[in-house]
Amino acid sequence: MLVLRPVELTDLPQLQQLARDSLVGVTSLPDDSERLREKILDSCASFDKDVQGNGPENYFFVLEDLASQRLTGCSEILATAGFSEPFYSLRNRHFTSTSRELNIEHGVPALSLCHDLSGHTLLRGFHIDAALVRTPFSELLSRARLLFIAAHSARFSEAVITEIVGYSDDQGQSPFWDALGKHFFDLPYVEAERLCGLESRTFLAELMPQYPIYVPMLPKAAQECIGRIHPDGQEAFDILEREGFETNSYIDLFDGGPTLYARTANIRSIAHSHTGTAQPVETIDARGSYLVSNDSFKDYRAIITELDYTAGQPVGLSADLCAALNVTDGSPIRLIAL
Amino acid sequence: MIVRPVHITDLPALLTLVQQAGPGFTTLPANEDRLAHRVRWSQRTFAEQVERADADYLFVLEDDEQRVVGVSALTGAVGMREPWYNYRVGLTVSSSPDLGIQKHIPTLFLNNEMTGQSELCSLFLRPDQRYGNNGRLLSLGRLLFVAEFPQLFGDKLIAELRGSADEQGCSPFWDSLGRHFFKMDFSHADHLSGLGNKSFIAELMPRQPLYTCLLTEQAQAVIGKAHPNTQTALKILNAEGFAHKDYIDIFDGGPVIEAQVSKIRTVRDSQSLVLGIGTPDEQAPVWLIHNQRMENCRITTAKARLVGNSLIVDRLTAKRLQLQPGNSVRAVTLLNQAQQAVAA
Repeated sequence: MLVLRPVELTDLPQLQQLARDSLVGVTSLPDDSERLREKILDSCASFDKDVQGNGPENYFFVLEDLASQRLTGCSEILATAGFSEPFYSLRNRHFTSTSRELNIEHGVPALSLCHDLSGHTLLRGFHIDAALVRTPFSELLSRARLLFIAAHSARFSEAVITEIVGYSDDQGQSPFWDALGKHFFDLPYVEAERLCGLESRTFLAELMPQYPIYVPMLPKAAQECIGRIHPDGQEAFDILEREGFETNSYIDLFDGGPTLYARTANIRSIAHSHTGTAQPVETIDARGSYLVSNDSFKDYRAIITELDYTAGQPVGLSADLCAALNVTDGSPIRLIAL
Repeated sequence: MIVRPVHITDLPALLTLVQQAGPGFTTLPANEDRLAHRVRWSQRTFAEQVERADADYLFVLEDDEQRVVGVSALTGAVGMREPWYNYRVGLTVSSSPDLGIQKHIPTLFLNNEMTGQSELCSLFLRPDQRYGNNGRLLSLGRLLFVAEFPQLFGDKLIAELRGSADEQGCSPFWDSLGRHFFKMDFSHADHLSGLGNKSFIAELMPRQPLYTCLLTEQAQAVIGKAHPNTQTALKILNAEGFAHKDYIDIFDGGPVIEAQVSKIRTVRDSQSLVLGIGTPDEQAPVWLIHNQRMENCRITTAKARLVGNSLIVDRLTAKRLQLQPGNSVRAVTLLNQAQQAVAA
């Protein structure tokens, strides 16, 4: 059984393996032992913190196979994007020019560096074993974060965003980067993303063009990358889109990948999840698949399983499910149908 | 040959002339009504009936048979009635010592910094007349006029030189930049610009600075590059002290050359002299001579001998200038000393 739980320091060696396999562009998962260690400690500190609002906390989760104790994925929630350093994105908006004399009016899209998304809660660092891609465990890894936010909404913002990895080819070439970032950095895309993971993303962003970039002036290949998703990022996108997230006018400043946005209260797993209590049972007459969490904080656990659930009734859980969720009779449970 | 203010009776000749110049000569379109309007306006300018902001001095080059063979113009001040736009080629530095990154990115800044300066424009000399001193007389005559009446002009004279274009008249600069904001081709935009719609077009141009690294390589290559057709005109003005600083045309990226009026050779070196009639030495240098009149302005070139405060010219030259011996003139040698040395 796979269970999602907060990261622990002992996860470091396995996490580093995951980081090695992760997609270029998932910059929050650096393949660097020291940085990963800091990230784990930072998450542990966040879980230890008693706060009533959203600050710089970063909640880091791992997906563990209980039988083999192997880690098969990880994901994060940054309580506040742009809290301790500016959160940059590119805003894609039309600039309208008008000439009454010539009877011409038209809009030209332009990309402007901005901090507009600062203050929102950011879902990031989604990475799952290749073998588990497009299985329900991807849903678990992604959406368990939403159930966590539902259970602890005071710790998060009123809006949640995520950046989906933008397009790059098999050789790691990003046409968007080549047309834009490269001029300002003199670095290949892969190297820039690597530095982003290692160093602060901010100081790279500060090298980015401060004036708007008029889209029609970019090469066609780069224009086509605006809002375009890397094939490996499609699943992460699809899961959140089904949750009610929508793309907007913001894109990633390095690879042009889209940003997804949702009002926290409107996210499906948050708005429509049910709460109940655990009830140990011998057997389950399975009637549907559910995403289930224990609704707790430091000891947060989430799984997917088949249940026989009726709204308003206790949630019947077998012994191994109770163990996986670390719950006993009467413990709070939150769940939503897969 | 003389340079003199245009007159409305020159209209048919002028129309024939600008038809020869072709569609690239946008500031003087071959349209009789528009041309007539400009000529009348020029006459009012020479009659000192218009403000500097509207002043448009149109000169013609006329041979001894009273045939108009060339035209050139000078405006009192640009940008006083409607905005005058240029790009300034500035610099953005992208720097991170930690990463060893130091990128220099030339950046185009839209500006109105030439507002109030005077512009040299609309020069065309009939191809069969492009010999001897005709080109210099037609171009530099304007500078001598400025030397005589500096109060009518700005601190600087500027000239926008036609930018680089291919055989079809397409401008790589326009194709990479302006086109995206207009959805029309360069010749159409250029035509509208010539019809006096320049600022309306400029209103559609992007207001924000533009990183040149985002232009096509072809466009980057022609920033500040003049069309080969302008080489002669450019050389003449360069010798006078005009230089390309950081300003370019917003449509085709051609250079805007400029000079402080007080530092222009013709202005700086010209002097007021008394005209004398005599026989100038065959070895005497050629002078550019102005009769110091406004409405009856006459400017010509002639071999002349400087004796004290007198400039000795032949009888025909005095006649061309409509002057008598003892009248005063403003004059300067047509070539600077270095050029004269080469010519000798």
